[in-house]
Amino acid sequence: MNTSLNFVAYLIYLPVVAMLTWYVAHTLFKNSKVFMLDIFKGKEEIAFSTNRLFETGFYLLNLGFALKIMEVSYEIGTNRSLLEILSAKIGGFSIYLGIMLFINLYLFFRGRKISKERSKLAEALSKIPGNS
Amino acid sequence: MNSIAYILYLIATWLITVHVGWNLYKNGRIYILNLLHGDEALTDAINRILLTGYYLLNLGYATLMITQWQTIETLATVISSICGMVGNILLLLAAIHFINMTVIFWLSKKNKHPHSITLKY
Repeated sequence: MNTSLNFVAYLIYLPVVAMLTWYVAHTLFKNSKVFMLDIFKGKEEIAFSTNRLFETGFYLLNLGFALKIMEVSYEIGTNRSLLEILSAKIGGFSIYLGIMLFINLYLFFRGRKISKERSKLAEALSKIPGNS
Repeated sequence: MNSIAYILYLIATWLITVHVGWNLYKNGRIYILNLLHGDEALTDAINRILLTGYYLLNLGYATLMITQWQTIETLATVISSICGMVGNILLLLAAIHFINMTVIFWLSKKNKHPHSITLKY
């Protein structure tokens, strides 16, 4: 059984990608609890449930993508090309993760805005005489 | 080599599927409860049926995928083919998960709409 450079590349790629995904998901979903509480107007149970569901989806999507793009279909010849391939893959994956992070943030801000507008509307309606 | 890959693959996919299923089961309950206006017995029944369906679908699909595996010769191919297959399963799970969430969101919106703003004139 010969360990080719491809094997080395996989061994480096996998832990790096797993750590990256874990770190981003951990940071994002620790801080998104505030947004969720805002969106669901302080109803803790449903807010944390939603947070957890989003987190699961985030992990599934990103780890799935990371594993899918892992394969190097040709033989890696030299150490130099090993480093180049690894940096291209890991860099590309980081950019993808960053985009995902910003999409998620956008969704949170949007949800919060909609929820705020709704509560303002309800407040205004309750001030109309005869409509309490 | 192939049998090692199959065993590793099955362990990985089954663990992931069961873990995700359990997560959805626990956190999805409150949504169904809201949809059914607090009918707990019906909620638990529906939730359990959904969980069973999910397990059957995913574990069945994951196990079925073994039949289409190419012959493996080196250790590097073991890792790459396992990761490719597990990646496929993860993306499929993610797609199903987000479709599920969208459907629940739509349903709850439709359910809530007539009551959300009540004008009493």
